[in-house]
Amino acid sequence: MKRRQALKTLATAAAALPLSRVELRADELPADQVFILRDVAPTVLPSAIGAKGQNEAVDNFLRWIREYKEGVALSHGYGDPRLVKSGPSPAAGYSKQIIALQQAAQTRGGRFGALPIDVRRELLDAAFKAADVRNLPGRPDGKHVVADLMAHYFRSSGANDLCYNSRIGRNTYRAIRVTTVRPAPLGK
Amino acid sequence: MAVHESDICVIGGGITAVMLIERLAELKANLKITAVEAGRSIFDRENRGAYHRRALEYGEHPWHDDYIEDQQAKGMISMTMAVGGQALHWGGACNRFSEEDLRLRSMYGVADDWPIAWAELEKFYVQAERRLNVAGDPSPYAEDRRSAPYPQPAMPLSYNLQVLKKWAEQSGLKFSPLPLSRNVNTPFDGRGACGLYDTCGDVCPTGARYSPDYTYQQLIAAKKITLHDRMLVRKLVLADGKDTIAAAHGYHQDRPNEMTEYRARLFVLASGQCWSPHLLLLSANARFPNGIANRSGLVGRYMNGHKFISAQATIDEETFPGQNMTHSLISREFFRCATGKPFVRHDTRVWESSAGKEPRLRSTDGRLLLGDELLDDWRSRALKGSSVRLRAYYDSHPSADSRLTLDPASKNRYGDPMPKIDRQLDAAATAREGATLAHCTEVFERMAKASNGRLNGKPSVSNYWDHPAGGCRMGADPAKSVCDSFGRTHDHENLFVIGAPTLPTGGCTNGTLTFVALSMRSAGRVAELL
Repeated sequence: MKRRQALKTLATAAAALPLSRVELRADELPADQVFILRDVAPTVLPSAIGAKGQNEAVDNFLRWIREYKEGVALSHGYGDPRLVKSGPSPAAGYSKQIIALQQAAQTRGGRFGALPIDVRRELLDAAFKAADVRNLPGRPDGKHVVADLMAHYFRSSGANDLCYNSRIGRNTYRAIRVTTVRPAPLGK
Repeated sequence: MAVHESDICVIGGGITAVMLIERLAELKANLKITAVEAGRSIFDRENRGAYHRRALEYGEHPWHDDYIEDQQAKGMISMTMAVGGQALHWGGACNRFSEEDLRLRSMYGVADDWPIAWAELEKFYVQAERRLNVAGDPSPYAEDRRSAPYPQPAMPLSYNLQVLKKWAEQSGLKFSPLPLSRNVNTPFDGRGACGLYDTCGDVCPTGARYSPDYTYQQLIAAKKITLHDRMLVRKLVLADGKDTIAAAHGYHQDRPNEMTEYRARLFVLASGQCWSPHLLLLSANARFPNGIANRSGLVGRYMNGHKFISAQATIDEETFPGQNMTHSLISREFFRCATGKPFVRHDTRVWESSAGKEPRLRSTDGRLLLGDELLDDWRSRALKGSSVRLRAYYDSHPSADSRLTLDPASKNRYGDPMPKIDRQLDAAATAREGATLAHCTEVFERMAKASNGRLNGKPSVSNYWDHPAGGCRMGADPAKSVCDSFGRTHDHENLFVIGAPTLPTGGCTNGTLTFVALSMRSAGRVAELL
């Protein structure tokens, strides 16, 4: 209860901030918006990873944003190669999206995370449709910050392990012998 | 004009070039060897772990500036132009062709024979496998006999591939681990052991998968070669009144108006199937108006490689995608084609896959999935059987009109026309396209049915030819080929073309090991002449 109350207080304070007047770098979110993102995370990320895991997922996503580089050559591809460079940071529109989500939540009764799940789903459904988000992007693409957070987590090696409840460790350094046997269940 | 003299000038900096140079340096210790490469050297090994991470997380290309923006070809399947070439980011597949590839005309009445006996080529396969430290198991097919074992046992099969091998072999085909140029358990030749990063085709953080840049650095450190990178050779020049090559004219990227003349006793063109014929055509002169080494008119013709047929299957067996996505199984069952039956040759490959079993944002009925629901939906699909990726590279014989030409509509900064490659099947290969697709579909369906599985949709034919080769075909008859079986051009006694361009046909499996084996053989011949 204490945590919920604290969140509510902080969210109220955050909502009162004059966000639109703050000049932000495209690759960073102010603390109050990060707070809102953390408030959204339990709704869109699996409960199995717990509050700690959900916060880590947000941290990893924020790190991904921070370390994003614009104008870098992307994989040329093979077969029909093309020179494609990374575009503007996907984070450029995140602030507006977070503010819009927070405002929509307030019109429905308050902090996003405190709303009934059907209302939360409705709000995200509308936001995703408005942003033309049809599926989880392969990588965060800026269409909507929440879809990008979800994609960043659900396409990770950790999420793959969670799905299969197995220590697969896709794309991580592993000894070959580890892969020659059925992967051990998580938690063992 | 700067002048650079050496015993031998190698034009091109890819895997065949470095293998030839390394062997030459062993055979003739005091040779002065110069390698000239249009692209840059990318030797920052210490950053490859970071590049690996950024490739995975951001999709960034791990080989920075490994291309020259105005030096690109239409029909080329990779943009890479750097020291190490496309083998900077190959998968390391090292399967051999088979004797049938060298005897297509004699055995089946199709395409052309190669001017080299299998037993002769096989010796150089062994040499190539040792240099590349190939990990492989003996083939279960008796026809694939070898004169020496692989340097290392095969890459151990992941649990997934063990499951898929049992599944696939119920069809009656026999499968082996794909032979790989990869240091499995221990470092080799200055390169580390495999850590299963699963990004072999992008970048290998440990160097376990062979990468030519390591060998170049070793050769440079030992003062065995002089490497001039970022130097584009635009022309081969004849000696006065003779048919020998006197010089190659290069231009450095930072000094585009200043020519460097490379003089050598012998020149080796090792620029791959695109840029080798391109340079020969570009070097046309009064005595060779159709291009250097092109009295036959065959430079840039018979461009080959092979097409492939791909499919996805769903099977009942349980696998755990992500164990070792880049490793695969191979069956050589259809490397042989019974005489008297319709001609079809192909390899058969099997990979683990997660296709169709990825997380998704909406359920089939369009409901937005969040958190636990999304995970539950993902699990409901992922844990229900497995996806399998299937592929067959098939024999695709080129016609003489399968060509690389100079494209006047596309020019580089110097005004040189860039290559345009348009691959064409010969008449017989065109006529059997439908039968080949039907055959491969039947093979895939047979494999799927063995486990109560099914193909997901119809198998599809590639829209490009993989492992491209050709353009300077080898042969015994100067009227029907550009070079002999060693790559020595018929028209110029001191000019060799090595590797991929010399192949008359592209086989039905990965080509790099064959390109390297042929180059090793060329090295011996070149050494004899110096």
